[in-house]
Amino acid sequence: MHDPQRTQRYRRHDLIDWFSQEQVSAARVAVIGAGAVGNEVVKNLALLGCGTIDVFDFDVVELHNLTRSVLLRESDAGRNKAEAVAERARDLDPHVTVRAVPGDFWDTMSLGRLRQYDCAIAAVDNFEARLRLNQLCLIARVNLVNAGLDSRWAAVESFPFAASEDAACYECTLPESAYARVAERYSCGGLRRRAGRERLIPTTAVTASVAGALAASMALRLGGEAPQGAQRRLLDTIGGTGSTVEIERREGCPGCGTFARAPRIVSTRNRWSPQRDDRSVAGTEIGEQVVQLSDPLIAGYECAACGPLEAAARYVNRRAAEFDDAIATCPKCAAPAVRIEIRDTFTVGELTARFPGRPVPAKFALAEINGDAICFDLEETPAK
Amino acid sequence: MTQSLKLYVRTADQTRRAELDLDGASTGADIIQAAVDNWALPADTDYTLVNTTTGRALAPGEDLARSVRPGDVLEVQPVLVAG
Repeated sequence: MHDPQRTQRYRRHDLIDWFSQEQVSAARVAVIGAGAVGNEVVKNLALLGCGTIDVFDFDVVELHNLTRSVLLRESDAGRNKAEAVAERARDLDPHVTVRAVPGDFWDTMSLGRLRQYDCAIAAVDNFEARLRLNQLCLIARVNLVNAGLDSRWAAVESFPFAASEDAACYECTLPESAYARVAERYSCGGLRRRAGRERLIPTTAVTASVAGALAASMALRLGGEAPQGAQRRLLDTIGGTGSTVEIERREGCPGCGTFARAPRIVSTRNRWSPQRDDRSVAGTEIGEQVVQLSDPLIAGYECAACGPLEAAARYVNRRAAEFDDAIATCPKCAAPAVRIEIRDTFTVGELTARFPGRPVPAKFALAEINGDAICFDLEETPAK
Repeated sequence: MTQSLKLYVRTADQTRRAELDLDGASTGADIIQAAVDNWALPADTDYTLVNTTTGRALAPGEDLARSVRPGDVLEVQPVLVAG
């Protein structure tokens, strides 16, 4: 139906020969992180008239955020960032659907949900979240745009997973030191460290606005023919210089090198029934099939001195990331002597024994069956 | 037998620049470590290497003999993590 207000609003865009308001208005973008860059990205997407913008963040607004967050106000202090940002973005353009998704995106973004977007933008502040979003986008074959900054530089990378199965991923050029920083936050192979110290990186509204503008442009693939391969743009916001480089797929990359081809996603009810284990697929009994879970689980919990512990019932078969290394101290003898077995690889038989009729607490399970990579989606796809 | 490569390395802001005779067996990670050490670049930042001559990012463990030609200019760029 013709909407005169809408037509008026986008009239100037229509004068740009390479700009398709129709395409932008049809775009669906997920913005992960509603900090400095997330604010700028959402502001730009809303002003451009992007059809659907979903904003994911678990954090709350603090006063120090206000120097870099264009959509936030002092009165938002204490509110969830995603909710505050989405509310202000709706004010910018009522024709745009902007939804807030509070909480950790790893808990709120299922593969099914991710596949509804044309692009996901990583506007997060740590390597771990970027690695996880990269993994999800690789599996779901959804374009990923990654934005990062410091007090001077803005970098934006695009990984066109939807356009090309051969596109490089975020991990293809990631240095070893980045993995070391992620590892610093964990002990015992998966428990969070209690005394972990966050590295504070100063940034300004200037670098955030440059990164946010570029990220919105690359997410909507503005400017005509978009490149088929991955790219990184680095801009010096003080000197005004910049560079664009191609990122090629790395052989043996820990991200995209995991599968030769994109895995086929198979939805499951995530209910594990022992009586079905004796069937076979491609010559392998289902019970013997090995799967790798998206989330390492605590598989065993026993004190080296006291033996089996009653407390094991509280921890075993739950995500290791739910707990910190305090649970390595034995509740009986108070010695740091608890042996905690943490792993992400199980046979189907083990999972049916551990979770009879219950869901496995993971997002997905990867398996290689008859030479094909399969990703079992263990989360229910939310209703649209 | 490994061959020596003459090339140039610089920081992203181009305030530091050096000419290097490089052992062909060196990797991008070796160059980055040498740049951090010799130029006292911030040690709490992570870096990646790009070949500005070819416009291509280099993988961390990439054998430079395969991807760099004499005279190429390599740039040490920060890996930006704040958002």
